[in-house]
Amino acid sequence: MELKYYIIRRLLVLIPTIIGLLLLTFILLRAIPVNDLIANYVNQKATPAEKALEKQQAITLLGLGQPLPVQFFTYLTDVANGNLGNMYSAYYNGGVLRGIELFLPVTLEIAIFTVIFSVLISIPLGTFIGSRPNSVSDSVGRVFSLIFYAMPIFWLALMLQYAFGKNLLFLGSYGLPINGQGFPIQQVGFVHNHTGYSYSVPTHMLFIDAVLNLDFPLAVVAFEHLILPVLTLSMTVLAGLLRFIRAGMVDTSNQEYIKTARAKGVPEKLVLKRHIRKNALLPSVTVIGLLVAGLLGGAVVVEDIFQITGLGRLSLAAITGTSGNGANIQFFGVAGTVLFFGLILMLTNLIVDIVYAFLDPRIRY
Amino acid sequence: MQTTVSIFKRGTIQKKRHPKVEDAKETIKLVVKNKVAFTGLVITAVYLFLAFMDQVYPAYLGFGPNIITSLLQVGGQPNGKFPTPPTTVGGWHLWFGTGLGHFDIFPAMLASLRIDIGYSLLIVLSGAIIGIVVGSFSGYYGGVWDELVMRITDIFYSIPFIVMAIAFTTILSFTFTQDNIPISGFNLIALALIIIWWPTYARLTRSITLSLKSSRFIEAAIASGSSRVRNVITHIIPGVLSPVFVQISLDLGSIVLVFSTVEFLGLGQIIGINYYTPELGNIIVNGQGGMLLGYWWPIFIPGIFLLIFTVGINIFGDGLRDVLDPKMRR
Amino acid sequence: MIVEESKTEKKKNLKPYVEVKDLVTQFFTSRGIVKALDKVSFSVYPGEIYGLVGESGCGKSVTSTSVMDLIPDPPGRIISGEIYIDGFNIIADLNKMARIKIKSETDVRIRRYKKAIKRHNNVLSKIRGDKIAMIFQEPFLALNPTMTIGDQIMEVIMLHNISSISNSILRRENISSGEVRNFITEFYSINDETQKRKEVNNFAASYAIQEFEESILSLLATSDDKQYIENEILNMVRENRTGMNIQNIREIKGYFDLQNDIFQNTLRLLQAERNGDSSAIKQFNSELSKLKRIEASSFFLLRLKLKFAYKYVMKEYRKEARRRTLELLTLVNIAGPEVVIDSYPHELSGGMQQRAMIAMSLASNPRMLIADEPTTALDVTTQAQILEIIKDLNKLIGMAVLFITHDLAVIAETCNRVGVMYAGNIVEESSTIEIFNDPKHPYTVGLMSSVPRADKKREKEIKLETIPGTVPNLITPPSGCRFHPRCKFAMDICSLKKPKLVEISERHKVACFLYSDESEVE
Ligand SMILES: Nc1ncnc2c1ncn2[C@@H]1O[C@H](COP(=O)(O)OP(=O)(O)O)[C@@H](O)[C@H]1O
Ligand code: SF4
Ligand SMILES: [Mg+2]
Repeated sequence: MELKYYIIRRLLVLIPTIIGLLLLTFILLRAIPVNDLIANYVNQKATPAEKALEKQQAITLLGLGQPLPVQFFTYLTDVANGNLGNMYSAYYNGGVLRGIELFLPVTLEIAIFTVIFSVLISIPLGTFIGSRPNSVSDSVGRVFSLIFYAMPIFWLALMLQYAFGKNLLFLGSYGLPINGQGFPIQQVGFVHNHTGYSYSVPTHMLFIDAVLNLDFPLAVVAFEHLILPVLTLSMTVLAGLLRFIRAGMVDTSNQEYIKTARAKGVPEKLVLKRHIRKNALLPSVTVIGLLVAGLLGGAVVVEDIFQITGLGRLSLAAITGTSGNGANIQFFGVAGTVLFFGLILMLTNLIVDIVYAFLDPRIRY
Repeated sequence: MQTTVSIFKRGTIQKKRHPKVEDAKETIKLVVKNKVAFTGLVITAVYLFLAFMDQVYPAYLGFGPNIITSLLQVGGQPNGKFPTPPTTVGGWHLWFGTGLGHFDIFPAMLASLRIDIGYSLLIVLSGAIIGIVVGSFSGYYGGVWDELVMRITDIFYSIPFIVMAIAFTTILSFTFTQDNIPISGFNLIALALIIIWWPTYARLTRSITLSLKSSRFIEAAIASGSSRVRNVITHIIPGVLSPVFVQISLDLGSIVLVFSTVEFLGLGQIIGINYYTPELGNIIVNGQGGMLLGYWWPIFIPGIFLLIFTVGINIFGDGLRDVLDPKMRR
Repeated sequence: MIVEESKTEKKKNLKPYVEVKDLVTQFFTSRGIVKALDKVSFSVYPGEIYGLVGESGCGKSVTSTSVMDLIPDPPGRIISGEIYIDGFNIIADLNKMARIKIKSETDVRIRRYKKAIKRHNNVLSKIRGDKIAMIFQEPFLALNPTMTIGDQIMEVIMLHNISSISNSILRRENISSGEVRNFITEFYSINDETQKRKEVNNFAASYAIQEFEESILSLLATSDDKQYIENEILNMVRENRTGMNIQNIREIKGYFDLQNDIFQNTLRLLQAERNGDSSAIKQFNSELSKLKRIEASSFFLLRLKLKFAYKYVMKEYRKEARRRTLELLTLVNIAGPEVVIDSYPHELSGGMQQRAMIAMSLASNPRMLIADEPTTALDVTTQAQILEIIKDLNKLIGMAVLFITHDLAVIAETCNRVGVMYAGNIVEESSTIEIFNDPKHPYTVGLMSSVPRADKKREKEIKLETIPGTVPNLITPPSGCRFHPRCKFAMDICSLKKPKLVEISERHKVACFLYSDESEVE
């Protein structure tokens, strides 16, 4: 089968999955008491009369009272129109989609650096230790990856914070000190740096924007704030990748075709480079989806501990709501972030599958 | 009577009366011989034993006078006392010092195991049972149901665990209050985690089922006309058990991590879990306030305690997988 | 049909191409030590097909992989013995490479010496594929799934045939009118059309100008003017010269020739070390370091270029290698070689895959091929075709074959001589005719009676008569003669001592106390 048809088939499979995901978030939204749901829509500071009006509006907007399929359809059209509802929390008030839009770049920046860092380290290291199983370096690598794989990420973050945040002041990762508080950069669309002038922010990622504007002092500050979160996340991602690549190397080395390569007289170095490494690294493309999932989950924890206003924190804020009291959970925020995380991962997996099919001739039967 | 074997067929090496029992014995022997895996087994066993002890005989923790009111009782708030560092004087309770709010860390950690490991076991086992049933039947029957199950698992796979756990727990808590069903906070988390964890096992079981289904052995059973349900129960499920067991042993560590992470993220407070509730994530989050004042042990020690367990169960699981791997068995 | 023995007659005075002596190979597993081979000895002479036959699990594959020294380590190792390939003992340095300490069956400590192993691998990589090639039972598993067939075959050519390619290219670049004239005269002296074609083909091949083959043919067909033809051909070739690269190609050729010298010298050094000849060691050592100095000084830049500008410099080589690959694919009767060369293994059928494997093994013109159950995984008609190809190769280019199978019918059809294996031992060895007509060893006798008459082809499927008992477990093999628990004629001595493989009549060897009292010394 040609690659083209494979991609088409893969896209077709995506459709029911996305509908399923929407159904899931819809169920989440309808599994809670209707009154609580409506309360989320209503501005609590308004007068009783206004409240009653807003309540009525919410009921019609959500299609409550209609049969469930109709409600689902209403939900679908809402989502299609970018209306994920509103949320009110300590970090962000307003439309959920807008919130995601604002908070995403920060998480994305951390994720990008984490992926780059862990891939750059895990591939050479994994192939190295995988090519000499049971050696000393292999044992060290295995212990390392095992420990970080089994480590509670929140604990690791706290320990790093304790070790570096206190002693090395420049690493004190307590919130991005731009404009003092919150995360206003994206709303304004400009960074106001400490010297007072402003400039455009094409990516909304602080470090990258600063570099693009050649503002290196700001870039340094931004980078410093990235170090600990990225390090924390990288450790777990790295551990997983390392384990996978090592196992792939060992597994591939035992394949029959490696024996063939040796029987042909291919020197050991080339056997490793040309025959083992390529075949061992190929499948690691497929775990990237899983790793991104872990990474996004980890981001929730890391953003909480390092007080980074990213997507993970937004989803936590939706749960803690305005006061940290259970009654104020922001259901639309919860459902919206779940939906968004799901879409990101589905997209990742789609890309991963296509890239894999492109790289591995066997996929296109 | 002498057995005769066609000479060009691979002869069975030995005759065994109870192949299953022999196999299990062999597995145990190999695990014991593998030093790393055995260490993992010992660690796991010790933790499980401690958790079990706390369940059947909690008095073994022998709480001293200063913590008897604190650990397991409901309703306390930090009493403002600062932590005291680990010390060897004053009995084993104080070996790892006390935490913010002055509870003894060591017994608190031990008491945590019942909840952390107990609930994790509950989650993993329930998830595995659901997964085995769903996976084996959908894999065996194929068709629309199989496709449906695959899509459902796809959906679960596409949301990060932590995010899903938080969302499910909170929303479930509302659903239960609405319907006036009393449920404890931990049960709620456990329920949420079971809902998101079974797809792992369903996928695993399904893939093994597919390969088992095409084996001669099952083909013969199909040809002999025995019912499908019967085939699944007598042929597929037993074949699935050992890889699922390996997966369980590997997942137990991950679930303990997720469980304590959910707790750490403050979900415990939302669903009404107390400051003093002995749970490792909870203990660590309680220590967080003192960290910048230099009180490292209320965080560091419970973390290491948790790490030892997760590392232990992981090396045990890895070893078990190697041992059960037919390629390693000659 | 049983192959005539005529070739073996001449063999008396020949030196064996591969000679295996007292080979012991073991696997150290968690269940105990698998004594897979227990002093296996045999020889394969140039131009013969030597068959190894036995039940599965008796150690045939272990024997063949040992001959190439490809036993996976861990768990396996060659423990002792000698394997001469073209007169060179490839495993003489076993003790230098590893120390094995056996504490108990399941607790074996192996200390490996990396430097010695590295040197050993370096030497072997020049021997494997070059002097001796191998094909496997499952061609699908034996082919790299992510490389095209062409790339995999070209890899061999680029590894072992680089200097011959250099020669062709250089000849093309320096083509002279005299050479062309000779060719034309030669061409006109032939009358047969196919012969003429072949002549043109040869000419084109030896100058690496295959792309002009057709034009030369039509030129020769249309014109009578020899002078004109000569000039045309010369122009054709010269105009298309890649002049720019010639310097590079000379350099590359020089480099690889030097590499070859270094290798030859290393071999001599190794041999001297084994003989303990200190003056020779000194001499070869100094020569080696001299060569290495030349390599470092003259070829420093080239090596960088090979590394970083590989594609550009090696383009000519790859072109030629590709052409040779197409030729090889045609040789093994692959339909549509132009398509197959760019396909991946999974796109081919089992038979095609095995043909590709054979083409790959032929790429370096080895003088011997090891075929480990090459037809077992294939369907019957394909089986016959593959066997035909192997037999043809043996006949046409005199390639020796070590042919491994569990199928007596295949043995009867293909082999000149046969060794019968049982539980890690060769128990009988003789010419094919004699094995079938006059088997001596009780195990062989059992095998023969379990087979429908050897001349009735392809009836192995029918139910075989059986030998009582089961194949022994090689972790705890039976003492003495490993066959004794199943042997009808077993005597007291059989469980105590191991019979030696001795010649009981001309070139008929048997390891059984019924025929000789000689036993292996422990
Ligand atoms: N990698 C290995 N590890 C352990 N034992 C092995 C290994 N390879 C082969 N053996 C053992 O060596 C013996 C001979 O195997 P093999 O040569 O593959 O038989 P065959 O004659 O069918 O080719 C068998 O008993 C097998 O168990
Ligand atoms: S040596 Fe003894 S046991 Fe072995 S084959 Fe000969 S007679 Fe039988
Ligand atoms: Mg074999």
